[in-house]
Amino acid sequence: MSHDAKVAIPRLATGVPGLDAVLGGGLPELSFNILAGAPGSGKTTLAHQIVFANATPDRPALYFTVLGEPALKMLRYQQQYQFFDPAKVGPAIRFINLSQVVLEQDLNAVLAAISREVEATNPAYVIVDSFRTLVRKVGATPLAEIELQAFVQRLALHLTSWQATTFLLGEFGETEFHNNPLFTVADGLCWLSQAVERNAIVRKLQVVKLRGQASVPGLHTFRITDAGLQVFPRTLGLTARPVTRSSRRLSIGVPALDAMLGGGIPEGDSVLVAGPSGSGKSILATQFIAEGLRHGEPGIVAVFEEGPAEYAARATSFGLDLDAPVHAGRLQILYLRPLDLSVDEALQEILDAVARVGATRLVIDSLAGFELALAAAFRQDFRESLYRMIGALTGRGVTIVSTVEVAESFTDLPLSPYAISFLTDDILRLRYIELDGALRKILMVVKMRGGNHSKEIREYAITPAGLVLGEGLAAYRGLVTGTPERTPPAKAAGTTARRRATPQE
Amino acid sequence: MPQALPAVHAVVRQILAYEITQGTPAEPPGQAAVRACEHLRIVFSRFAGVAGFRSLLARALTLAARDVPWLASVEVTAEGALAGFGEGGQAQDPAAAVAGGSALLTQFLGLLHTFVGEALTVRLLADVWPDALFDPPPPGRQENAR
Repeated sequence: MSHDAKVAIPRLATGVPGLDAVLGGGLPELSFNILAGAPGSGKTTLAHQIVFANATPDRPALYFTVLGEPALKMLRYQQQYQFFDPAKVGPAIRFINLSQVVLEQDLNAVLAAISREVEATNPAYVIVDSFRTLVRKVGATPLAEIELQAFVQRLALHLTSWQATTFLLGEFGETEFHNNPLFTVADGLCWLSQAVERNAIVRKLQVVKLRGQASVPGLHTFRITDAGLQVFPRTLGLTARPVTRSSRRLSIGVPALDAMLGGGIPEGDSVLVAGPSGSGKSILATQFIAEGLRHGEPGIVAVFEEGPAEYAARATSFGLDLDAPVHAGRLQILYLRPLDLSVDEALQEILDAVARVGATRLVIDSLAGFELALAAAFRQDFRESLYRMIGALTGRGVTIVSTVEVAESFTDLPLSPYAISFLTDDILRLRYIELDGALRKILMVVKMRGGNHSKEIREYAITPAGLVLGEGLAAYRGLVTGTPERTPPAKAAGTTARRRATPQE
Repeated sequence: MPQALPAVHAVVRQILAYEITQGTPAEPPGQAAVRACEHLRIVFSRFAGVAGFRSLLARALTLAARDVPWLASVEVTAEGALAGFGEGGQAQDPAAAVAGGSALLTQFLGLLHTFVGEALTVRLLADVWPDALFDPPPPGRQENAR
């Protein structure tokens, strides 16, 4: 035996999508854990999902129920989840009711009953649901606290000695974490919460404590569906993946605009297309996706304000066929469920789609729609979430074009209603101007983080072939105010000559 | 209360046939059902608690008594055992005694089926009678399981 070989703690896959990443790789084997949260927060479902994923006849689970939900009702409801396998009940997962022992006897008898079952079954997993009942039984006197601490300590010792990974479920509140002896003994403490924000339910999971390994701190959104719990880690793997940048430029699908961008969008950039309603943001984003598809680059379009069919139909009206690449699996138009979405869920759906399709181009159309699709509680985190999403995606080499609607102003040039320009590498601004008694459109490249770009202000039009750039408007000044004036001829000619000489300054 | 499914009747027949083989030829009619309920009590009290089993058996007895009136004299004790079944059965003709036991078991398994579905009912019964073989639910018939 080596003198300096440290013990390796195997980690159990929980069977809960996303949870292993939050835990830092899974649950430490033989650990003594608490799943805490208010009634209805998902504790029992989480415990069932974990044991149904892990328990086998050779490594069975003992599920002790204590004065909580009757076992028959629990099984009635839990079997509605896809992870529930009736064949495992009995050979792999054994349910034992401790209510009578708890009601009629003391904690020593409870410990004896649990120990007896554990020694007879030799389980790999033990669940006590709900442990809170036992805590209530001893009361709140100082003597009772000592009794409880001794009970918990002996229970933990016994279950660990018998090589069981343990979960105690309880309706504990966040304020109880600090002075309850139970939490001192526990190796892991996972807290589930749910809050109603306006009309939406927001569920959060926090790993408050986990001995022996680094979990991801903070509150992580989770959702309960027919498949059980799914956790959406707030890091999205952002810290685990180094950002690699290439020098390649991607065409946006409008050659003249590529020229203004110095040869196209730098691969892996995040581009913001800002402009008022009807200015052509969406069609430009669609041209970007279609151009990628023409070059064999799969894409994802995340839409929030219209369905995929409507989006594809609008592209068709500009001569861009999105249906064929969708059917070929090279393009996915994601319509993210509106109004009760968490940011992390949306990001996970986008990341999953990017991985599934192998996408290198992504369109988010639009950021305003994205924000509106979120449950109200998540809107305050929108900027931070956007930062994480863009970092996660561009870190994977995906080039992103996001559209954002800005209210047109004739006194200034807003780029976005959000202070998010720091999130984007490049900004294109579309706007209306009044010129010669007509409403016309202009485009400018406001920012390019990765290099030089044209400072020209170009007129453009939305044609049956999409967005088409026209000439520069060097003969006018005050274009960004929306009400330009014609520059005196001599000055205009000089400016034009200087601008044309250095289009890529 | 809906009529018990044919599958439940079939399982009850299997249980009673098995329990008859475990008894003696001289035992009173209906004792196989009493023995079956006792096996159920031991296993289900452990799983669902004494109170859980007792309430389920009491409900089954009430439902069964609608079809077999003499069962109205039978009671379920606080521990979940049947009281008065032997005496009540002996006052009947043998066929009525057997019918009472069969009705009680059918209602009990019907309740289980209602609560947890066919697949899980069969799975739980396998814990009660590990040596007996119950017909597994046909594929696609797991009505309450997804």
